[in-house]
Amino acid sequence: MSSGAAPPDGIVVRMRQITKIFPGTVAVNRVDLDIRAGEIHGVVGENGAGKSTLMRVLAGLFPDYTGDIEIGGQVVRLTNPRQARELGVALVHQELSLVPELTVADNIFLGREPYARIPGLISRSAAEAQARGLLRDIGIHLNPAAKVDRLSVAERQLVEIAKGVSLNPRVLILDEPTSSLTYQEIRELFRVIRGLAAKGTAIVYISHKLDEVFAVADRVTVLRDGHRVATAPIMEWTEAGLIQAMVGRDLSTLFPRSEVEVRDVRLEVRHLGRRGAFRHISFQVRGGEVVGLYGLIGSGRSEVAEAIYGLTPADEGEILVDGMSVLIRTPRDAISHGIAMTPEDRRLRGLVSMLSLRTNLSLRALRLLSRLGFVDQSRERAEVDRMIHALGIRTVSQTTEVANLSGGTQQKVVIGRWLMVPPKVLILDEPTRGIDVGAKAEVHAIIDGLAGDGLAVLLISSELPEILGMSDRILVMKNGTLGDEFSRREATEERIMAVAAGLTVAGKA
Amino acid sequence: MNEREVWSRAGAAGGGEEGEPGAAAVRRVSLATALRDYGIYFALVVLVIYFSLAVPQFRTTDNALLILLQVSTIGIIAIGMTFTILTAGIDLSVGSLLAVAGMFSGVFAQKDPTTLNVFLALALPIFIGLLGGMINGLVIAGAGVNPLIVTLGTLTAFRGFIVWYRVNPIYDLQPYYRIIGQGSIGPVPIPVIILLLMTVAAYIILNYTRYGRYVYVVGGNPEAARAAGINVPLMIFSVYVISGFCVGLSALIFTSRLMAAQAISGQDFNLQAIAAAVVGGASLFGGRGKITNTIVGALIMGVLFNGLVMLNVPAPIQQMIIGVIIIAAVWLDGILRQRRH
Repeated sequence: MSSGAAPPDGIVVRMRQITKIFPGTVAVNRVDLDIRAGEIHGVVGENGAGKSTLMRVLAGLFPDYTGDIEIGGQVVRLTNPRQARELGVALVHQELSLVPELTVADNIFLGREPYARIPGLISRSAAEAQARGLLRDIGIHLNPAAKVDRLSVAERQLVEIAKGVSLNPRVLILDEPTSSLTYQEIRELFRVIRGLAAKGTAIVYISHKLDEVFAVADRVTVLRDGHRVATAPIMEWTEAGLIQAMVGRDLSTLFPRSEVEVRDVRLEVRHLGRRGAFRHISFQVRGGEVVGLYGLIGSGRSEVAEAIYGLTPADEGEILVDGMSVLIRTPRDAISHGIAMTPEDRRLRGLVSMLSLRTNLSLRALRLLSRLGFVDQSRERAEVDRMIHALGIRTVSQTTEVANLSGGTQQKVVIGRWLMVPPKVLILDEPTRGIDVGAKAEVHAIIDGLAGDGLAVLLISSELPEILGMSDRILVMKNGTLGDEFSRREATEERIMAVAAGLTVAGKA
Repeated sequence: MNEREVWSRAGAAGGGEEGEPGAAAVRRVSLATALRDYGIYFALVVLVIYFSLAVPQFRTTDNALLILLQVSTIGIIAIGMTFTILTAGIDLSVGSLLAVAGMFSGVFAQKDPTTLNVFLALALPIFIGLLGGMINGLVIAGAGVNPLIVTLGTLTAFRGFIVWYRVNPIYDLQPYYRIIGQGSIGPVPIPVIILLLMTVAAYIILNYTRYGRYVYVVGGNPEAARAAGINVPLMIFSVYVISGFCVGLSALIFTSRLMAAQAISGQDFNLQAIAAAVVGGASLFGGRGKITNTIVGALIMGVLFNGLVMLNVPAPIQQMIIGVIIIAAVWLDGILRQRRH
């Protein structure tokens, strides 16, 4: 059922006039799309542009679409995911859906376990042998007997892809596959994808990250507001042109970093260390300054931030705020000394997703907004309203559940929470992960504004363009130590990578 | 959330805020929210109308007051239970703790009504409730043991203790003691007034205080709560103390109403209180639930029980019906809550 059945023109999937309506909104509006065997087809667009919806239609998740779909030259009406899988469409989800307690092989064959000779029992050895062959074929170096909970996020992503490939699909859809990967891991992923395409599998690559699209895609389709704006080979696109097509406006302001007068040192760490994570970390962040902290996953950059914030305290060294040595054992301590931090994973540590926008935003300020333990609700509403306007948070009302907001809006809520009571030091761990280009520019503008107000900002990011575009100084970590420091002027992508990758083998994948 | 907000939300779905399937979710969730928040009142009204039509004796003031009186014991416990459930916890020990608190109250209610004895008869159950709650809270929050296990343990231990301490019931309580459980102000029984006051207090705490806000946040996402500087263990500890307090108060009312202290009291009160909360829509995963809905849940159980008795439905059949209704309520709630992922 694999690529062998591709028609002569090489088009494995032909979508015509696809429309998917949600109550109140047309998510996908009369979109035509052809996917060819062996191509890597980038699908880009802002959040809400309809790219995931379009691909979910193809994966059989939305049976109530209108329009025509041909797969392998055969007209089909997709009504369920199973049917789509059998027709050769495999979707690798944005959010990881592996069972951590099971092994790599178990996960790949979940629900399709090979049987042992004794009826009713499954054969672990057969599954592992098959998984080993599969992983070798697609060039993923993982032990099929390894438990998934011991794997890094990047490795789990590769397992997800292997799971998709194990279905032997005509079309493999990857929805934002790199949102938690480092540079090195992304390159590994690209190698795997290119290998699959070379064997004739059509790859649909949904992404926010344009540099990746340029690096890997053969053709690119841009969606905006449910419509297809354009499809063209990658050579015909420029980055500026692509951005303009996506957002419908000029976006020269993705990294707005103004010149700011640098003030006194607000945060200083001296010889900070935590056993097994990092050691001898010393640096300063001044008021008005954005200091970028870059490193590959496993370099200890997030761990340093978590130590400064007290999530997992350091066991040696010193932290100073405004020149005063402070003891930080818990986030409460950090907060009381004017340190704020937005977490790397906003769903896990930032948001209380079933509660309202108002509750989430006012959480930090609640102490100031209440008298004798009672929340002054009208003041709360007013303050939350102020923050909604200040950050341009797009929401229907203050009582909207946070789970119903877009990724970019959620991120603004997390940042906004910390600005309700202005901190001295703001640590941002991956502030733009998984949010679209328009929201990214807005978050960058917010960061710039905060530095302008005299805050000391420590910015952690896996995205080099962001680090380069936003930081006044850049600290590079590798293997739990501080490798080198660059000023804004001397920093280049190559120099930073050289330090970050260093002599060590980068990443685990 | 008032009705206007619900509809404005539904109307604004066209904005496509989240885009992708989000827009649909906004609308579906808003309709579901309306049903979820008001469906339970609807269910109660339907039950009351049905029993009123089916059994004439049901629709008397006396019977209404009787139902309220019967609901008050469980209702007060269910209030405390709601606090623990909101933090994604649970308190299974409430029935056993009620027996302990009730017994010690009875011991002193039996003695001559000196000031000290009266004071102890009235205050000791509350104190014991608080103490029992502290024990639960300390182990759960301090040692980090799963609340289901901890309170399952104390459920057994408290019961063992009180049976060991005094297996024989105490019946000859002093007459003054009757007033709490059997007295009334005007036509309204005192337990009903206490339930009402407790409901109002819990409502105010959960909706208007910082503490109440933190209860929801800790239950909704303990990691985020910690990162936001909330003292999570202290919050967890506190909800078990609140639950213990409610149990103590309920024990006093219960013992006084029966004019008897028994080591076997309150055997399935934990299940009834949990049922009231979950029928009222509280999520066992934490972060979702309303005190008013818990009380309505308790009322639904009370009305059902009372109505079925009046319809001469045999007790085993009643149990089966109530069991099915608990499951159906939670199932329905899950359906109304379904969202995109």
